[in-house]
Amino acid sequence: MVSREEIEHVAKLMRIEIDDPTIYERVDKMIGYFDILDSAGVESEEISVREIPLANLREDKYIPFDEKLIEKLNSYKGTYVRAPKMI
Amino acid sequence: MNIKISALQFTREVQSGNISAEDFIAKTMEQIQNVDDSLHAFLSINDKAIDQAREIDKKIKSGGKIGQCFGMPISIKDNICIKDTKTTCASKMLENFIAPYDATVITKLKQQDAIFVGKVNLDEFAMGLSTEFSAYGPSKNPWNLDYIPGGSSGGSAVSVSAFECVTSLGSDTGGSVRNPASFCSTVGYKPTYGLISRYGLISYANSIEQIGPLTRTVEDTAFMLNLIAGLDPNDNTTVDNNNEDYLKDINSGIEGKKIGVIKEMIGEGIDPSVLSATKDAISKLEGLGATCEEVSLDMVTYSVAAYYIITATEAGSNLARYDNLRYGYDFSVEGYEFNSYIEKARKKLGPEVTRRMILGGFVPSAGHAGKYFLKALKVKNKLTRQINDAFKKFDLLISPTVPILPFKIGEKINDPVALFLIDINTVTANLTGKPAISIPYAISNGLPIGIQLIANSMNDKLLLQAAHALEKTVKLPEVPI
Repeated sequence: MVSREEIEHVAKLMRIEIDDPTIYERVDKMIGYFDILDSAGVESEEISVREIPLANLREDKYIPFDEKLIEKLNSYKGTYVRAPKMI
Repeated sequence: MNIKISALQFTREVQSGNISAEDFIAKTMEQIQNVDDSLHAFLSINDKAIDQAREIDKKIKSGGKIGQCFGMPISIKDNICIKDTKTTCASKMLENFIAPYDATVITKLKQQDAIFVGKVNLDEFAMGLSTEFSAYGPSKNPWNLDYIPGGSSGGSAVSVSAFECVTSLGSDTGGSVRNPASFCSTVGYKPTYGLISRYGLISYANSIEQIGPLTRTVEDTAFMLNLIAGLDPNDNTTVDNNNEDYLKDINSGIEGKKIGVIKEMIGEGIDPSVLSATKDAISKLEGLGATCEEVSLDMVTYSVAAYYIITATEAGSNLARYDNLRYGYDFSVEGYEFNSYIEKARKKLGPEVTRRMILGGFVPSAGHAGKYFLKALKVKNKLTRQINDAFKKFDLLISPTVPILPFKIGEKINDPVALFLIDINTVTANLTGKPAISIPYAISNGLPIGIQLIANSMNDKLLLQAAHALEKTVKLPEVPI
């Protein structure tokens, strides 16, 4: 069971404004389903990490890109992205 | 002109001069015009397709170097970037996004003279299995317009099934190629993780998603794999397939092969007609010289929960970029504080995406990660070990692709857990990185049933040989459109 407050807190952190009242019930139902993992018996299991050797990474070199990507943004000035005020 | 032909038939016909690429593309565009108002497979159409085909015909006539596709019409899921075309991910957030570069699969297909007839529908950001979560409305199943086509690559499956293209590319994160392939009676392929570059695929859950073809035949899938598989310096998760020829020896058959029938995928909740089709497929495989035996992978029971936790977590991170500053729609920044602006801008994301982003914030968060995210990773690990153990005994594994038949549009949209459970047979291949294929196998009450075969990593060739052998035993009616 996840409380309404917990969902609102996470939504705020994710910068999501909740205006659909059904979202609480649905998210709670989804998370409730995840409780099935409590009976999976995997407590002692290791978590493996996929390792990629440095040798497999592409060369770190400058590749010119001719198009001005900034012009694809909705709001920019010169070479800067225009964003709302932070304070 | 008959447009109801396979990719290999198409290339042979154009190469031999029996048909022109231009005529075929024109007929295909006409088919799209005729049927897509009802089916809604396409989100955008390539208006230059016929001109591009004409150029390919000219190249053929002049004896110029021509690629292996000979102007073959292909549809592309709208989460794969084609330079200078809209790539919306079926989201209002990317309604006007024009891709600045080609995905690697697109570059490779362009080099082979493929023609992209259009971009096709999906659940928003590929989050769903019915195409009902597209911001532009659902696609319809060509076998019965009241029913969902599956998803998230629903537009891809519909376009292949309804002869609006010869083949399509989709993406498969938890069954998103195989599920709609099963529901629309096409072949759907999820390759070994890393076999096909994800560069230019808009990210949802990078650690498990793969681009995969949807085709009319298994041979066509092998043909497509020959064109798009292999190492890519732009995607360091790609693996070297040593230029494997997947078409060569595709008729090898499956005599002497051992096939495990996954017990947990034919149990509770399976539709009787799906179970009956699966048993029939097993008998056919035995008739072809394979031996089939039940195998238990008990982690399958927990795979759906693990899958949704892992994908939501990765989606929460991947979708953080949609703040309307770098990507987004026309919504002025003036008069807003930073956080409230992003909150307002994200209202353009649909309900399922919003829910999954919240889940993606919750399950890996402090105080909850141990119960959800870390446990999901442990299930993934144990499931991988179990399936690797199974492949020590078996060459292949079998199950129905989806345990139920396609359902009516709107029937399950309000029940997220019921929707989750439809993925039970497909997510295992994604979580473990194994290749899997859905083969059209039967029709029940006018609705298609697909059979899934799974192979060990990098055994894609064996998987296609087995799928081809099974496919040859099946004769299905033509789609009623």
